[in-house]
Parts: sequence; structure tokens; C-alpha cells
Amino acid sequence: MNNKLQAKDLINLGLFTVLYFVLGCCVAIPIGFVPIFLPILGALWTLITGIPFMLFLTRVKKFGMVTLMAILSGLLMGLTGMGYWGVPLGLIFGLLGDLILKFGNYKSAKRSLIGYAVFSLWMVGTYIPMYFMVEDSRASFAASFGKEYADKVMAVMPMWSIVLVIAGIFICAIIGGMIGKALLKKHFVKAGIV
Amino acid sequence: MDEILSATVDSRNGIVLDPRTKLFMLITITTLMFSTSNDGIMNIVKPILSLIPFALILSEHKFKTAGKYAVLYAVCFVLERLALNVWSGMISFLILAATSIMTRFAPGIMTGAYLISSTSVSEFISAMERMHVTEKIIIPLSVIFRFFPTIKEEYQAIRDAMKMRNIRFGGKNPFLMIEYRLIPLMVSVIKIGDELSAAALTRGLGAPVRRTNVCEIGFHVQDFSAIVVCFACFILFFLHQYIVF
Repeated sequence: MNNKLQAKDLINLGLFTVLYFVLGCCVAIPIGFVPIFLPILGALWTLITGIPFMLFLTRVKKFGMVTLMAILSGLLMGLTGMGYWGVPLGLIFGLLGDLILKFGNYKSAKRSLIGYAVFSLWMVGTYIPMYFMVEDSRASFAASFGKEYADKVMAVMPMWSIVLVIAGIFICAIIGGMIGKALLKKHFVKAGIV
Repeated sequence: MDEILSATVDSRNGIVLDPRTKLFMLITITTLMFSTSNDGIMNIVKPILSLIPFALILSEHKFKTAGKYAVLYAVCFVLERLALNVWSGMISFLILAATSIMTRFAPGIMTGAYLISSTSVSEFISAMERMHVTEKIIIPLSVIFRFFPTIKEEYQAIRDAMKMRNIRFGGKNPFLMIEYRLIPLMVSVIKIGDELSAAALTRGLGAPVRRTNVCEIGFHVQDFSAIVVCFACFILFFLHQYIVF
């Protein structure tokens, strides 16, 4: 078996990245208006994107596709203006997720859930400016959204809550992955598409 | 599909820019629009940056789109300033939240739309190859750029079909709603993926040889001026704390 990525794999990768990203944005943009929901935004994102990701996994047979997807998602995040932290984190967590999936030979159900959860942690990159450059982002929030918004955002996001954000993303990813698996079974396996 | 995947964009209107210049402009606009505050010199830089997509769309002779964008941006900009400086209270906060998201997103989205509509896949690929980006990034990225409009079309078709069957939001089971829209979309994505791979293979994508390209890309006067403007905006951004007036 040829283990190098072919053009076909790369095209599929592109398609599923778009699907993943668009779906995530559909959830994230309306919720992003409300400052209180910012911490759970990542968790909701991973909850809904579990569905396309599980389908994507049925097309992944080679090492590297999950890593590339994480990097590309980070890049898209950057291009839409959310900061470029998603790219390095995408590299790290995409690679880790990819390794976990590879040990399951891209087939094991348990490993695909954990792999997806680890992969999803690239989302933490979008939170980095809010947590680690607190003063900067407070000033920038205050200047552009008004002081009230800034105080609200910062009030719901004390430093320790990043642990909750990460845990939320991880747990929601596992639930999302399970939903994805269930839907996959209901629609795609029965229809013989996968 | 035919138009989306055309090898070259013929009889094009407007300023011809190198794809690399467009990409750099997109990065400049999205980065500066989001990461910056609204004080001092940035008050001038931001409207200038938001004029870039306006000028580009105008040069494509898409007057309607350009007009809509200009009106939308101007209204949001004025409301944002009023809400920030003059009004106060809950309503001003709501207006501020809505308008500042608009003023941040709109220029980036318009530039992105311009990038997609004015660049053919071949041009994009050849520009990326000149930048020595690996094929593993080029192919998915060019698929991504081309696929945003397609997803929208597919989704609208599915939405219409679901409307005909009277499946809409606000029904008794919102989760079912998501299922009814998402699953057909994913099925069509898989299908498009297969077709696209077949089409790409016949064009020699993924062949072990170096592909040639008929597209002539390169930097011209208009590219240099656009890049200079972008660099100037970045420099002003980095210095904006020291410029007080």
C-alpha cells in the first residue's frame, strides 16, 4: 500500500476542512456576539463538528491528513482574523491526534474518539490572546467594544478558567464524536456510502 | 461547477493583481481590523484599509456589490463611533456589539470574496508554487478557496428541498433539523470530492512530474503600490502608540 498522500487524499482533505470550518462558524458566529458564551464557544464548536469529522475519518487512511487539517483550520482562523495561534497549536495537537489515530490504524472506535478530542484542542489557540495577553486584549476590547463589554468578557474569564475551557472542549469533542458515529451508522453505513 | 473550476479567468475587468499580493492584502486587512483598537492614528488607517476592497470590487465593475458594501460599512462605522463616544447604556452596548463586528468582518470578507472571484485555481497554484509552499498545503488550500461558494450553493439547494417538505427551524426537534440539513450536505460533499479528484487526476494533479502552467503571474506596478500601502498600514499600527495628535 502506498503511504504517501495522493492528490485524491488532499482534495478530500480540503473539502472536509471547508465543511468542518463552515459548520463550526455557523455555530460560533451567532454565539460570539454574547460575551458570556465566549468560554463555551470552543466546546460547542467541537460538539457540532464531530459529525463531519467522523465521516472524514472514514476517508483517512494515511498519516498526516489529520495534522494537515488542524494546520489548515488554524490558518483559516487566522485569515478570518482570529489570530494565528491556531497554526502552531494545530501542528502540535493535530500531530498528537494523528498519532493516536494511527495506533488504532484509523479504525478503532475508541481511539478515533480520543484522537478527535486531542485534535480539537487546536481550538485553544483562539483563546491564547484572551488569557495570556490579558491587558492587551482588555484594552483592545475596551477600545472597540466599549468598557462594559471588555469587563464582561474578562469577568467570565479568570485565568483558572482556561482549564475549564480545555476540559469543555475535550469532553464536548468526545460527545460530538459519539453523535457523529451514531449519525454515521444511521445514514452512511446502512446506505453503503462508507 | 464549470465556472468555478475554469482554468483561467478570461476577459477580466479591473486591476490585475498577483495572487500573492491579494493574499498579503487579505492578511493585512484581517489582522489589522481585528487586533487593533480604535484610537489615535488607527482611526484613519482602518477606514483606508476598508476602502481597499471597495476599490477592488469597483474595478471589477461590480457596482451594486461595491455600493452595498460602502453603505453598510459607512452606516456601521458611524453608528459604532456614536455608540462608543456619545451614547451610553444597554442599547448603545447592543449597537456597539453588532456594528463593531460588522466593521471588523465586512472588509475581510469582501477582500476574501474578491480573492476567490478574481483568482483562478491555476493562478493560485502557480503563485503558491513560486512561494515554494509544499504540495500538501497547496492542493487542500486551493480546494478550500474554491469550495466556499460551492458549499453555499449546495446548502441553499438542500434548504429549498427541506422547505418543500415543510422541515424548518422552530420545529419540535432542533436536533432533527440539524440532521436533515447536515447529512445531505455531507453526502454531496463526498460526491463532489470524488468528481473533483477524477477531474484533477485527468489534469495531471498528483502526477510525479512537475506541472507546467499557462498563467502568467508576476509583480507589476499595481502590485508594488498595493504592497507599499499594506506595509505602511502595518508600520503605522506598530507605531500607533507613539503617534499622538
